[in-house]
Parts: sequence; structure tokens; C-alpha cells
Amino acid sequence: MLRVSKRFLTKNAAVKKTALYDLHVDLEAKLVPFAGYEMPLLYPNIQNHVQSHLWTRKHAGLFDVSHMLQSRLMGTDAIALLNLVTPSKFSKLQEGSGQLSVLLNDQGGIIDDLIIVRERNGFAIVSNASRRDEVSRFISQQIRDRLPGCNIVWEPIENKSLIALQGPTASRVLKEFVEGDLNKLFFGQRQVFPLKDHSDININVMRGGYTGEDGFEIAINESVSPDFASDLLANEQVKPIGLAGRDSLRLEAGMCLYGNELDENTTPVEASLKWLIAKDRRDLAENRLKFNGYDKIIDQLKNKTNEWVRVGFKFSGDTPSPAARHGATIFNNDGITEIGQVTSGSVSPCLSINIGQAYVKNGEHKIGTKHLVQVRKKLFPIEITRMPFVPTHYYKS
Amino acid sequence: MRILTKPTSLRSITPLRLSLRRQSTSVNTLNKNELPFTHTSTGPKEVKYTADHEWISLHPDGTAFLGITKYASDALGDATYIELPEVDREIDANESIGSVESVKSASEVYMPLKSTVTGINEELENTPQLINTDPQGKGWMVKFQVEESENNGKIMNELYTLEQYENFLKTAEE
Repeated sequence: MLRVSKRFLTKNAAVKKTALYDLHVDLEAKLVPFAGYEMPLLYPNIQNHVQSHLWTRKHAGLFDVSHMLQSRLMGTDAIALLNLVTPSKFSKLQEGSGQLSVLLNDQGGIIDDLIIVRERNGFAIVSNASRRDEVSRFISQQIRDRLPGCNIVWEPIENKSLIALQGPTASRVLKEFVEGDLNKLFFGQRQVFPLKDHSDININVMRGGYTGEDGFEIAINESVSPDFASDLLANEQVKPIGLAGRDSLRLEAGMCLYGNELDENTTPVEASLKWLIAKDRRDLAENRLKFNGYDKIIDQLKNKTNEWVRVGFKFSGDTPSPAARHGATIFNNDGITEIGQVTSGSVSPCLSINIGQAYVKNGEHKIGTKHLVQVRKKLFPIEITRMPFVPTHYYKS
Repeated sequence: MRILTKPTSLRSITPLRLSLRRQSTSVNTLNKNELPFTHTSTGPKEVKYTADHEWISLHPDGTAFLGITKYASDALGDATYIELPEVDREIDANESIGSVESVKSASEVYMPLKSTVTGINEELENTPQLINTDPQGKGWMVKFQVEESENNGKIMNELYTLEQYENFLKTAEE
């Protein structure tokens, strides 16, 4: 353990800090390197992991997600790029509305999962920190090679913090700070609000998040983000939550983590993200309207030819058991035939049972199917389960 | 104790378990009021530590208790499940005898001496938190009968004393 930790603790000049870094230090966060940034894992003097998780489900958690890549897509042909690299439909999307989507490579594999919001002059995008370089390279290359001569500009947004406020009391807290009606901002919508006490400061608020709870992701200038975050934290409903809580919350919500559930060899059909493939983009005659990997993805969609399917599972035995983690093998009930692999797993702080996500062979994925998972040398009974594991509480119209 | 789950990607939970804080020097001492110490009225004849953060208390009758250090339990976070071996199992030197799990990680625990499992701390099944609150006392994991052999004696000699273990922690962090 120490051998590894020593390597990671070595001072690395290239490790970046978000604008909220000093705040994390003041709060005595346990900091870890994550996607090139030094990020809070936990705030041990405030809460332990399970407490921070449960707090977010009952009250409001504040997450610094400034390490994520915020970018903007503009130009008269921006839609042409989105039609090429995503299976979503953006042409009818209203200004201020957004959705989850995926960037697809030529084979239909997922380059990244991301949120894309229509703005007046283009699209605002939030994608994964760990995929920053790959996404930049991919988008530039697609514009250059596939859409030459088109009017498309893509650029990362600098100097903006991204703060997530998540949990059932998040809206009550945020209302105190913004001028305007948050009740009219629904899940998936994004809107600019001036701050009540500082009408010269605008924050860009998107309703949604990565926990399954109602909540917001707030883009705000780095010059004022530390003060804003401190003000939010002064509310007794709000506590800072680190990456540890972020991961267990998203797992319970059945959401994918790039690198665990998603990679460049996995299609949206395999990842059980069929709902991302827009209904009227499934039957296209014209080649120029088809998205990357169209033939493979549509074949998987219509003929169920995909070898693998992402599923949720829970342990079904009565005795306490170790969790099945990333890489654990799933067997048929015979205990011999390998049929899948765990991609994420841990005990669920809300349900107090072991849960996880996995890829299993197509046909072994039906809800209620019983399998076995190997943890170290022992096999434990599991059951394929519907996701999310805990109900979501989105604020929908 | 070694971390089990393999790194998968930069974004996965892998880095989450790597940050270890420095402790003050007294926290890794055996709790003198609990079984790993009181098994013999005068206390164990030796208490030693491994580089993987296990402690072992060896008594004159050949009974040994094993658990993880306070340093390790702090680094791992709140324990959610403790896996323990079957009683009567024969253990080779440095064999895995169980694991400590938190929400974010699983770490395997090793017994440095060739021995036989004679008891487990059943309290840990329903109260894994004992690993955090009192890892060197109420949170002991396994009881062994250690065979007296030249090899075991040699291993025991080479393990860290408390002072050596604390120094090892300091060097490892610098």
C-alpha cells in the first residue's frame, strides 16, 4: 500500500488546482490526484464517506467539479458535427435545454459521455475531466477530416468554476442566492441568473447532476467562485462532499463512470444507453445524416446482436459478504461458465447491501436472473436488478 | 495489508485510497485492556508490525492475535465488512487471512507466520466499525496457534518493533 502511495504522493509540478483549492485546504480535505487535478476525496473532519453520502440524499452536498471540461460549440454548421458524432437529436432542442449524450468513434465506441445544452449562439458542453485530451483531439480531428470547409468552432471555456449542489434541499438553498424563479427551471434546463446581492455577477445554472437527486451544476467565474462556495457552505443544509461520495452516489443512481462502464470499445447499445439514440435517427436513408458507427449500432439495436450488456446487480445472499469490485468475474449458476465482469461495485450506503454494475453476455442480462460472482476465492449469489438502485428525485415539468 | 482492487483508469476510484496522513507516534500501540494484550495477564511477550500495516501480538503459550494498525484503519476509512478465515485453517507464512472493506476499497490482510487459525473475532461480523474505533484492541481480527520453528522465529525477529514501524511510516511519507 505504501509503495504505491509514495509514488502518487510525490510532488508533481504538473498537478493542477481548481479555483476552490484553498477552500478545500481550509476545510482540511483529504486531497488526491484525479485526472490531472488535486481534488478532495473526503473532508474527514466534517464527515466520513458514508455520512457524506447519506447527507447528500437527505440535505444538500456541494461538489467542486471544476476539473470537468467545459466547452462551447459554435458556427452555422455546429449541428452537422453533433449529427455526426452523437446519436442524439439536437435540431429541435430549445434554447436553454440540454441532454446527456455520447461522442462516438467510427466503430460506434464511446469517446466520452457528456452534457450538451443548446444556447442562443451554439451549444454549451460539459465532458469528463479524464477525457479532456481525447475529447479535444477527437473533436478537432472530426471537424478537420470529416467536415472540411464547414463553419464550426469548438473551444474549451477557461476561468469558470463548476460547482454541483445536489440533494433534496439544494433548490431551497440556491433560491436564497439567485434573482429569478428556480421553480421554472426543470431537469435538463440551463439558465443564467444574477446573484441577489451582486446583480453584476451572473451564474449559469443547469438543473441535474450525477447523484440521482434534484440539484444543480453551477458555472461561475473563478474570480468569485470561492466566495460563492463559502456562502453556500455557510447554510446549515450544505456540506462539502468529495470524490468518494460522488462515486458511491452515482453508483446507486445507476450512472456510468467513464473508464469503468464506458470506453472506446463499448457502444451505447452495449452500455444500456439505448435511450440516448434518438427515435428518428434510427432509420436513416441518407449517409450524410448518419452518425459514426451507425450500421453497427442500429444492427445491435434492431437485431440484438451485441455480445455484451451493461446491467445492475445486487447480492442476494443473507449473510454479510465482501463487495464485488471492478474486475470481479461473474459466473453462470453452475459456478464454472464465465458470463461477465463487474465494472463498479461496493456496499450501497442507502440500502446496506452490496450492489454493482457489470457487463454480462447478451441473454444473461434479464432482470431477476440469478448468477454468481467471485470475490477472491469465494462465489456469492447475485441477482440482475433494475437500475437506479435507489429512486431518483429529478425536478421535472 | 495490500490493496486488492486494481487501478482501472484515472477516473476510477483507484486514487481514492492512496492518500495517507501522518499520525502522531503513539496511536499504533496495542490496547492494553483488550484480549490481544490480556490473553496473558502480564501481556504478550512480543508485539510486532509488518510493512503492510498488520500488528501481531505473540504470547508465551504460542497464541498470537493479528489485526491492522490504527494508521492503516484511518487510511482505509469506515469499514463496511471484514472477511475472516475459517477456524482450524492452516496458514502458510504470509498467506492472506481475510480482508477489510470500506465503501471505496478492499484490502487484503496477511499473516506473516506459519500457524493455525484457532479463533476469529465474531464481533466484527456485525460491528465492522470496531476496526476503526479500536483496531489494536476490540478490533482484533484473528487468533492463531503459532508453531515454534526456526523459520517463524526468524520472521518474528525481522518484523518491525513499534519504534521501527513508526520510523518506517515517517520515511515512507517523506
